[in-house]
Amino acid sequence: MSVEKRSVTRFELLMDAGFGAQKAGDILLAAFVAMGEYVYVEPMIPAEISPPIRTPFALSGIIIRLADFDITNIGNDTDLILASHEVVLDRRLNDREYNKKCTILLDTGDREKSPATYDAVLKRCADEGLAVTLFDIDAPSKEILGEISGKGRNLFYLGMLSYIYSMDEAIVKDEIENALGKKFNPELKTKNISLYHNGYQLAKGLGLVRYKVEASPRQGEKILIDGNTSLSMGIIDAGFKLFSGYPITPASSVMHNLARELPSYGGCVHQAEDEIAAIGVAIGAYYSGVPAITATSGPGLSLKQEFIGYAQSAEIPLVVIDVQRGGPSTGMPTKTEQSDLTPAVFGSHGDHTKVVISVSNVIDCFYAPHLARYLTEKLRVPVIIMSDFQTANSYKVITKPKIVNMNNVDEIPDFILERFHIRRLPDNIEMVRLNQSLPGTPGQMRRVTGLNTNAQGQITTSSASSQRGHQVRNEKVHHVRRALTTPELFGPAANDILVVGWGSTRGALEEAIGLAEKQGIKASGMHLRVVYPLPLSLKDVFAKYKKIVTVEVAYGDGLKPSPLALLLRSETLADIKPLIAEATGRPVRPKVILERIKEALQ
Amino acid sequence: MTTPNTTTGAGTPPVTTKDLFAENPRWCAGCGDFGILASLKKFLIERQLRPEMTVNISGIGCSSRAPNYFNTYGAHSIHGRAIPVALGVALARPDLNLFVHSGDGDAMSIGGNHLLHGINKNFKCVFLMYDNEIYALTKNQTSPTTRKGHPTFTQPQGSFLNPLNPLTVVLGLGASFVASSADWIPDHLTDTIKAGFDHPGFAFIHIAQRCTHFDAGNFDHKTSDWFSFLKHANGIEPDKRLANKAELVNHDPSDMGTAFKLAASDRRYFGLFYQDRNKPRYDQVLRDLVANAPKKDRAKLLDAYNI
Repeated sequence: MSVEKRSVTRFELLMDAGFGAQKAGDILLAAFVAMGEYVYVEPMIPAEISPPIRTPFALSGIIIRLADFDITNIGNDTDLILASHEVVLDRRLNDREYNKKCTILLDTGDREKSPATYDAVLKRCADEGLAVTLFDIDAPSKEILGEISGKGRNLFYLGMLSYIYSMDEAIVKDEIENALGKKFNPELKTKNISLYHNGYQLAKGLGLVRYKVEASPRQGEKILIDGNTSLSMGIIDAGFKLFSGYPITPASSVMHNLARELPSYGGCVHQAEDEIAAIGVAIGAYYSGVPAITATSGPGLSLKQEFIGYAQSAEIPLVVIDVQRGGPSTGMPTKTEQSDLTPAVFGSHGDHTKVVISVSNVIDCFYAPHLARYLTEKLRVPVIIMSDFQTANSYKVITKPKIVNMNNVDEIPDFILERFHIRRLPDNIEMVRLNQSLPGTPGQMRRVTGLNTNAQGQITTSSASSQRGHQVRNEKVHHVRRALTTPELFGPAANDILVVGWGSTRGALEEAIGLAEKQGIKASGMHLRVVYPLPLSLKDVFAKYKKIVTVEVAYGDGLKPSPLALLLRSETLADIKPLIAEATGRPVRPKVILERIKEALQ
Repeated sequence: MTTPNTTTGAGTPPVTTKDLFAENPRWCAGCGDFGILASLKKFLIERQLRPEMTVNISGIGCSSRAPNYFNTYGAHSIHGRAIPVALGVALARPDLNLFVHSGDGDAMSIGGNHLLHGINKNFKCVFLMYDNEIYALTKNQTSPTTRKGHPTFTQPQGSFLNPLNPLTVVLGLGASFVASSADWIPDHLTDTIKAGFDHPGFAFIHIAQRCTHFDAGNFDHKTSDWFSFLKHANGIEPDKRLANKAELVNHDPSDMGTAFKLAASDRRYFGLFYQDRNKPRYDQVLRDLVANAPKKDRAKLLDAYNI
């Protein structure tokens, strides 16, 4: 069969949760990386563990974008879908992320169970112009699957995908063996390998088109890592010695990684009784001089708000990570969203004096803890690191980050500050209380409190001390405002339209602006890593553009600005409207940004 | 941040009452909190603990103002959350002497979950529960320990339910040290704090505390026929001043069954109900884990992810 060369392509494997779609994804990822290709992976995970099979809720899948160049996002449309039955296929088609020429491979193994729904989904595909190739797992493989209670289909499908994507069988088999582990029952291993092989042969027999993405060899030392692991390793490198958390999706894997690794670097992980206790322990440790950090997601951020306010008032350093998910309330724990921007910036009662930074990719994840520690110790205000489900779970090959081995915050290297578009802060920053000694320091004993105090730390309700406290705390944030340089720009510094994004939309935004430039569309992009405060220069930067819009994975409409638009409007008085403000749980796509830019410029 | 010099105080002048003075407390005249403040200061001086090595942590309430009145280190935190902050200090700095101050509302109501887990974790601290059986700083509301029938602003018809019994609650939670004393018996209270401080874990000390402003009748400090002192070689000495006036009851603090019966009875007992020196300590477990973990070099932090 012919092999079609592709510069970039995207495919999906859709199965019921509990049947190893994620494991197949891990193997594919490792094998593609071993073959030198660039990969961006996004898992689709149900909000439950093993929902009933053959229901829309059971969809567990993996989206893989393959390219011969370094990719920054999960891309636009899917070119090929392999589905284990019609129900998961139907569910995923609803997201409308497929290419018009998308190839669909549908396992007919379940057809007898429900011929009517199979026919309905096939009709849907035909109506939508999608070419479907039906296949049935061969008899010897079915026999093996019967012996191992169906858990092994993922390897059969893996074999099919290996054939289609011209993968080196030896490399994939190595990765399967790695994934199964050395202690895996040898007999079962043979069966699994047979399933892989049979899948490969079946795809070959179907006469499917094969694709090949040929990347040139990578330069320099590379690592393969996901967002939350990168964040965890950054926490260690930044010198944090205590992580305190409470289980919550999608932040938990930070705690899992650190529970395994941090003790080997002289620190410990505390699993608290609740979200409030988790942040309280971090505050107690930092008050005592030990750098401490906590991580959570939306509902946990809400619970932590009182302590975040306390840390501002008591001037105790504190770093909180918020791995955002769909909200409000419990929302969509396994979907991405950027709606926590306003609670992060304005949350907790009373005045808000904190710094909010964000990560746009797995490299940012590694360095954000360094910057957060630097800022919180210099200013003694809480620093919130905003990630999201998408960044947390995206695996990527990156140039190996430079190990900083930070022990003291003054050691923070310039390249990290530059990465986040901020200059070094001045040395002597005024605090509300003149004495900021650590416990154990003789002759300097002091008490901290959430109550208003004077400069000597005494509790008082005097007007002058209250106003001074506010002024000093706000001046700390103003120091950051003044230290911020112009945020990252894509495209010219003056243009017809400027599209502004923050956090995980960076990759799609950068790609969309690149596409626009190629098409002669006069659009530029701006990405914010520090989201609060905003640089003083922003108004002047905005003045060079005829129109300014935002791209956000958060809700907004004609009557209600989305969170970033709200923030930018209030800071600059520019008439900023969202270009995309959709809380669909799905990442923003470059193609959609481009389409909307075109519409906005008409 | 650099770890400060943790001097033990060798060669420095002895710690005096004057050294521990921070400011005059802003409690009502006749408040039982004065007695607790005085007894803890007395202990700190008797034991000559360096003020820079002592940390008082509290939540919110009248009693939680206490850390502000000791010239030591301290954190007056948020309502109900003294225990998490204290655990953070304990994990970060085991060299510090840790006292937690919490009222009945703070400990048994808004902070109930943390008390449960502080006791279970058994980290090293002295936990002082100031029990005046009322929300006082917020001005006269029913607390979990307000006696049934006592009128408050929130239950003016008389508090509706039987109060929670802090002693049976914490015994039931598996506390490793449970003692009870009162604000107006300074010698006994000081001895109780001493026993709690020497306990290798979470020392829960219940303190009957008078509130002259909102419930002058909560504890009758003028008579001694309504309570007894628990007495044992491994316990706490009955109060010297009242030993010949109040009833003395022999009780072995290793006897959990009797401890529970005494705690659950209608009569009030002051002394050591229960002590188990061998209950594992979470703070120690974590420190041992770190000490025994295979050491890794930060320079090689990302090597496991190499491709």
